[in-house]
Amino acid sequence: MATERTAEVTWKGSLMEGSGSIDRVGSEAFGPLDITWASRAEPESSGRTSPEELIAAAHASCFSMSLSHGLAQAGAPPSQLQTSATVTFVPGTGITKIALRVRGDVPGLDDAGFCEAAETAKENCPVSKALASVPEITLDASLA
Amino acid sequence: MPRIVREAEAVWEGTVSRGSGTVRAATSGAFELPTTLASRIGDPEGKTSPEELLAAAHASCFVTSLGSELARAGTPPERLEVTCRITMDEVGDLGHRIVSSAIAARGTVPDCDQAGFAQAANAADAGCTFSALIKASATVTIDARLGGADGD
Repeated sequence: MATERTAEVTWKGSLMEGSGSIDRVGSEAFGPLDITWASRAEPESSGRTSPEELIAAAHASCFSMSLSHGLAQAGAPPSQLQTSATVTFVPGTGITKIALRVRGDVPGLDDAGFCEAAETAKENCPVSKALASVPEITLDASLA
Repeated sequence: MPRIVREAEAVWEGTVSRGSGTVRAATSGAFELPTTLASRIGDPEGKTSPEELLAAAHASCFVTSLGSELARAGTPPERLEVTCRITMDEVGDLGHRIVSSAIAARGTVPDCDQAGFAQAANAADAGCTFSALIKASATVTIDARLGGADGD
């Protein structure tokens, strides 16, 4: 069954001097969130989110669910998974890299088994598939 | 060329079907949100999901591309409204895949006609980082019309 999710954004003015807002999302879980070009394209976020940070959030959460599913199927459901996704964006070029890092608390599983399950999640989660054209996606996985 | 780094963190506890997680904007601190599998594939019940975060990413990426294209054409926008709808579906033996991203753009743009707005929207799709990426698995559609959704 297909699942749909929506988001609405407003922008006022020019790219450099103007500003925007992620007004609302279908779930109403967040918003409004301010966005500006400066907070996207400069090293300092100034407390504002950006498309790249939202992609990082989507990837980290999708990978975590996929890994949890894989571990449970292998008979070793996790107590806790802690994942970070770091997206590198080069203005004018695009997203050049996503680095996934996961630390797992998984009773009854060794490090090799955990790394194998993490690699499978990295290859197969829906967000990884959607972002497959990112030049470099790396994974650093180990038990906590 | 500066390299811009943005980080987010997800914590998950328990199995995918009965467990739950949180997702946090680690760089900006702009949000920290609960998420579950049930709210991802069923009724969202006020919880976000990877697909909703992608919808927010695509809408916010596209809106800056569109503003930039309009300015380049000599018709900078007063106001742009962009909605993005991401669809995830089960595809044969492949399991769940993100299959489409539908963008609807409405603009208040002095001295720009409908044809010019549509042309800028197509150029924005070509130039938007996220549009380029997600075409690896999804179809991107653009519906661009002048006139604000709220009539202003």
